[in-house]
Amino acid sequence: MPIKERLAPLLREPLVHFLLAGLAIFFFYGVFNRTVDVGDRRIVVTEAQVQRLATQWVQTWQRPPSAAELDGQIRDYIKEEIYYREALRLGLDKDDMVVRRRLRSKMEFLATSEAENAQPSDADLQKWLDQHAAKYAADPVFSFDQIYISAAGGDQAANIKAKALLKQVQLGTGTDGIGDNISLPQHMETAPLSDVSRAFGEDFARALKSQPVGAWSGPITSGFGLHLVRIRQVQAAQKPNLDDARQAVTNDWRDAMRETRENKAYQALLDGYQINIERPK
Amino acid sequence: MKKITLLVLVSSFALTACGSKSTQDAKPFSLVPVAQAATLTAPAYPSHVYFGETHLHTINSGDAIMFGTRLTPEDALRFGRGETIKSNTGLDAKLARPLDFMVVSDHSELIGGGREIYDGNPLMMADPTLKRWHDLMHGTTAEGTMASRELIAAFSQNKLPKLMYDPATAKQIVGSVWQAYISTVERYNQPGKFTAFMGYEFTSAPSGNNLHRIVIFCDGADKVSKILPFSALQSQNPEKLWDYFEAYEAKTGGHVLGIPHNGNLSNGLMFSFANFDGKPMTTDYARRRQHWEPLTEVVQTKGDSESHPFLSPNDEFSDFGKAGWDIGNLDLSAKKTNDMFAGEYAREALKRGLQIEAKLGVNPFKFGMIGAGDLHTGLSTSEENNFMGEVPIGEPRAGRASVLDKRWGSVRMGWQALTAGLAAVWATSNTREAIFDAMRRREVYATTGTRMSIRMFGGWNFSKADFRGDWVKAGYARGVPMGGDLRPGGAHAPVFMIDALKDPAGANLDRVQIVKGWLDKDGKPKEKVIDVAWSNPTIRHIGKNGKVAPVGDTVDLKTATYSNRIGAPELRTVWSDPTFDPKLKAFYYARVLEIPTPRWPAYDVVRYGAKLPEGTQLKSQERAYTSPIWYNAKG
Repeated sequence: MPIKERLAPLLREPLVHFLLAGLAIFFFYGVFNRTVDVGDRRIVVTEAQVQRLATQWVQTWQRPPSAAELDGQIRDYIKEEIYYREALRLGLDKDDMVVRRRLRSKMEFLATSEAENAQPSDADLQKWLDQHAAKYAADPVFSFDQIYISAAGGDQAANIKAKALLKQVQLGTGTDGIGDNISLPQHMETAPLSDVSRAFGEDFARALKSQPVGAWSGPITSGFGLHLVRIRQVQAAQKPNLDDARQAVTNDWRDAMRETRENKAYQALLDGYQINIERPK
Repeated sequence: MKKITLLVLVSSFALTACGSKSTQDAKPFSLVPVAQAATLTAPAYPSHVYFGETHLHTINSGDAIMFGTRLTPEDALRFGRGETIKSNTGLDAKLARPLDFMVVSDHSELIGGGREIYDGNPLMMADPTLKRWHDLMHGTTAEGTMASRELIAAFSQNKLPKLMYDPATAKQIVGSVWQAYISTVERYNQPGKFTAFMGYEFTSAPSGNNLHRIVIFCDGADKVSKILPFSALQSQNPEKLWDYFEAYEAKTGGHVLGIPHNGNLSNGLMFSFANFDGKPMTTDYARRRQHWEPLTEVVQTKGDSESHPFLSPNDEFSDFGKAGWDIGNLDLSAKKTNDMFAGEYAREALKRGLQIEAKLGVNPFKFGMIGAGDLHTGLSTSEENNFMGEVPIGEPRAGRASVLDKRWGSVRMGWQALTAGLAAVWATSNTREAIFDAMRRREVYATTGTRMSIRMFGGWNFSKADFRGDWVKAGYARGVPMGGDLRPGGAHAPVFMIDALKDPAGANLDRVQIVKGWLDKDGKPKEKVIDVAWSNPTIRHIGKNGKVAPVGDTVDLKTATYSNRIGAPELRTVWSDPTFDPKLKAFYYARVLEIPTPRWPAYDVVRYGAKLPEGTQLKSQERAYTSPIWYNAKG
């Protein structure tokens, strides 16, 4: 197996990403920011460091610093470095809740940003899509007619009326002037079930799914009253393809991965520890 | 074939510029040139009303994270589009009906800065107050809530730790949080299905008097990432926000608007006759305000700002959402006095707008109305049976209705929080461009959380016969929709065609009312509320007092249920103003009331056996307010 192929699965491992990111940051701070040895009493402000201070200034103020302002930044940097080392020498980083929380949040940030920046391959997304196919399935699509029967005179009366009207329309003599007035659509054309639901409510949409195709049927109930319906055409829920569902799939994949990866990264560290918990008796 | 048409349609919207028309002569469909509209089979007029949330806070808001909110903008968007999300207190939550569009609008003041306090940013920990808040945030939810209230009070009284006013600190913190937010919103915006706007809240509240504005961008990351949010730490003056809007549009070619909210907590400042600096309003101010702020958010968790019993003593329905919210300003640092109400409520502001227009020639308060949430949990919940609380301490549990906010001798109770309102928008498609354009032309209405569907057209020759045909088409062809201007059309009275259809999953309707405001011959503002359509008209008649009797009440508090055996699924009418005078300026909007239904604390009693404080309101009549149609006597 060529080395590249052997490396590939490794490079997809969250732990490897986590460690690489940590290494990168360590390197960055080591080279550009701080000497790690607190016993060292020599401070060298390198050219790179001066450049970094200037760049920071530009990012904040949208203009380069004057010579005096840059000197100020350098003085402040030296002061910070000295206080930092002295604080470490005094052990102020130990047993300080704020410092502990700060460091923890930095570690969490490393883990999170690694997950945030993860780019799924099409194969990753396809796998996710296949695992959650029902969620991404396009709605079934309905073309149907409906006749509204008001329940203002009571449910029983409405039911009797609906059944009588059903017989009438089943004769095929037309539907003009039949039913009660309401500003709901009398016909919907190739409407996804979610659109049906938004107009007529969930109960109606659920009931519509089990009505026969091609003939008047009902009555079915909605929040408005009763309805006779005739489905003219129905197109079953389509198996989703990645291109149509890509945006939602990517978002959901990322959302799920973030938590998994964070947990994995933590687990990897946790595995390196032996934990004893001594509870008060 | 169908699919292709849809794709073409969507991409053509994506190519169209955002809201390119000015408010004053805004017409529907300004986005799609006529020739194009025909070939693209774009609807000739808005055929759908879309329901959305324009005001929501997450972990990025300083006060929210202190309250204990851990949900992110991404969580908020996922919840809004219908995913299951674990709440801040660990409950699984999912909307039965997802939203159509959303703006996650965190406070722009040190956006993301609360996280820095929580994480113990060393710069901040040097300040004893920030250190104190840091410690409280790591304590119980009650302690976090205390920290948050301290933050809001300190902010309102201009007494935040100095560091928080430092622009360099702000830029360092805000920049990366803002860019991350932008990329999240961009990933979740799904034209045609779920529209995610970018925006934030400008949190101006001089001395605790609320002048907050929601800011909504029409544009995508390419434009919005070029700027940072404008915050009240830079200036509390809304005119400076408008300067920023102007600069944004000039710099990027993009489009933005502002939405004031909670006039009810402004102690008279929100709709004052004066500019921010207290000097009499100028024409320039009036013009800019009308242009940049075409909408006002009139109902949300911190109360209802449409009308107040003190201002409208004859309006028996004006007491909705007032308890606790009409006693003082935002942080309760100043009590309310009666002289303040007139500068706080939308109906009065619309009347003041006519007065100012008569004097200056421009109406600064020519706004449409929407509802929103302002919930600080990241979870937008607008229904009484799904309320996830205003803040984490108000998430579902037995004691939440009793939680107090007690300061300077004033008290607000947990039960006084309202569930989120909704913004209902008549748009030609569910895209940023179409929804933003509808907001600009004010073709929107406010609801207290229900999804009733309301059409209103003003014209000169509508009749009942129009309802027998395609009345919507007739409405657009021969009149103007809500939010529009009715040009003079002769000596006879204007006619309004109104149709209200109940929420498919909600309560029946009690009545439709027209609220008319006008200036009389002496230029004095007047108002009248008229019942124009109601359920069971064969039994219910207009009484001696000129009003239709109450609809009744089917609420069963033992089970927290109601029945639709009263009320009507739909109310419609064609109404002409009998006291119309063509020489007088006027506006007309509709208020639609549902039958009484249980409020969220009533569900808490049934579900958690909650013991409620005395005086807890257990029922209400939920409602909608349409944007007005204005009649300008001068034309």
